[in-house]
Order: sequence, then structure tokens, then C-alpha cells
Amino acid sequence: MLALVRPDSWNLPLFLHVLGATLTFGATATVALLGFAGLRGDPDRAVWLRGLAFWVGFGVLVPAFIMMRGAALSIVDKEYPGGHHEPGWVGVGFIVTEPGALLVIVMVILAWLARSPKSRSAVAVPWLASILLVGLAVAWFAMSAKPGS
Amino acid sequence: MSLYQWLLFFHVTGAFFLIGGIVIAGILNVAAIVKNRRPSEVAALYGLIRFAVPLIGAGLVLTLAIGLWLVHNAGYGYGETWIVAAIVLWVVASALGNIDGKYQRQTGELAQRLAVEGDGPSPELRARLRNPQALAISYGSGLMAFAVLGLMIWKPGV
Repeated sequence: MLALVRPDSWNLPLFLHVLGATLTFGATATVALLGFAGLRGDPDRAVWLRGLAFWVGFGVLVPAFIMMRGAALSIVDKEYPGGHHEPGWVGVGFIVTEPGALLVIVMVILAWLARSPKSRSAVAVPWLASILLVGLAVAWFAMSAKPGS
Repeated sequence: MSLYQWLLFFHVTGAFFLIGGIVIAGILNVAAIVKNRRPSEVAALYGLIRFAVPLIGAGLVLTLAIGLWLVHNAGYGYGETWIVAAIVLWVVASALGNIDGKYQRQTGELAQRLAVEGDGPSPELRARLRNPQALAISYGSGLMAFAVLGLMIWKPGV
């Protein structure tokens, strides 16, 4: 129904936003999986898995997050120029992604530090990724169901 | 919230599960093939891919079942171009994904066996990991899921 009233020029940023969000979800889940797997077992194997978690975070999660957030800003600027009459569900997106961006930065830094065998930051990485996953689920509920609209 | 809003939420949740699962499997698969890894390393990565399988399965069911319900609820026609194209792509992607899943499971089992038998470099494992036909099926299936996402946004013919 929305497609009937949505101008064609909004389709590309919306596609990039949804694509970025799904890539962010997948990359975050991968960081969590590699991070948890890197907490146990053979120490050399664990360090290798934690190194992979860093590269996935840095090489996939960060670009995907930027794509999601950049495209979101583009759509909001088109649909609610000047931020006027923004509905609550749009605000939920900002509430999740602003601390979410900070969480991603901290997580990637900790994942980089966790590449050292003696690092204590390794424990935090998969748990931060899990928190981000919960935040993403809240955001996709708000973005898709648009409660209150 | 209306029924339409709930249906849209569960449909989008299915898309997140499906594409998220594909991304997890894709990243771990790429990590396994970019370097000449030891069989035990390949087995470790393929062991993690198994967590993506239920996500992909749930995503496939939710996107199709709730998607068909949404077509009825939102007043679209089942014969509209973008809906028919999406269903065809969904069926082909699922079939290719099924073929790929069986191939990847066998590759994971081979890696586990080789890891136990000395963990030395294996031309057989390397050939399976870099089999161009298998990679085409695997990435073709994933790309079709992204194409369905595009159809859902652009809705050609509406």
C-alpha cells in the first residue's frame, strides 16, 4: 500500500537502508558467533577466531552500518524535511543507531585488542554484539510495524 | 496495531532471518576459502555455519507464508508481475540453497575427517572449497534473495 504513495525516487535509498540493515544483522551475528567460539578451546585457534571477528567487524559490519544509517538519513530528509512531524517510530531508529554506532566502534576496538592471546577484552566482544542484535531487533520492529502510525 | 502491521513485522523479520543467515554463511564460507586453511580451521568455520541454517529455514518459511498472507491482506493480486517474479525467485533460490546445503555439509564432514587424520593440507578439500560450480550455486542462491528484496521495494508493474 505504501508503494502506491511512495515516490520512485525514495526506492533506492530505502533499498540501501534495508540491505544495510540486513547486512548489519548478519555481520553482527557473525561477530558474536566468532567471538563466543574464540573464548574456548585451543588457545591458538581461539586467537585466530577472534582475529576473524575483528576483520568481520571492521570489514563488513562498519560499512554495512554506515550504509544503513546513511540511507536512513536520506529517506528521512526526503519524507520529513527539516525533521517536522517525524513519527515516533522514526525516533526509535535514531535511539537505537546512535548508541549503536558507539557500540560498534567500541566493539571493533575491543575485537582488535582481542587478537592478542593475553587480552581480557575478548569476553566483551560477543556480548556487545549480542546487545547490538537486540537493539537491531527493536529497530526493525519499529521500522516495519510502525506502531502508533 | 492492525493485522497488516503485524504481518509486515513478521514478514520483515523473515527477511532479516533469511538474509542475515545468508550473510553469516557467506562470510564464514569466504573466510574458509580465501586462504589455504588447515582442515581443522575449515571444520571450525563450517561448524559455525550450522548456526545460520535454522535462521535461513525460518526466514524462508516466514517470508513466503506471511508474504502470501500480506498479498491478500493488502489487496494485491497473486498474479501481479512483482509477486510472481518474487515467488519464482524464492523457489529457485530455495532449490539451489538446498543443493548447496548438502554440498557444504559433505565438505564440513570431509574437513572434520581430515582434521582427525593429521590435519595436513588436502588438495581434495581445497578443490571442494573452490569448486566453481558449487560457488556459482551458493552465491547465485544468495543473490536471488537480494533480488527478491529489490522486488519488494520497487514493486515493478504496480
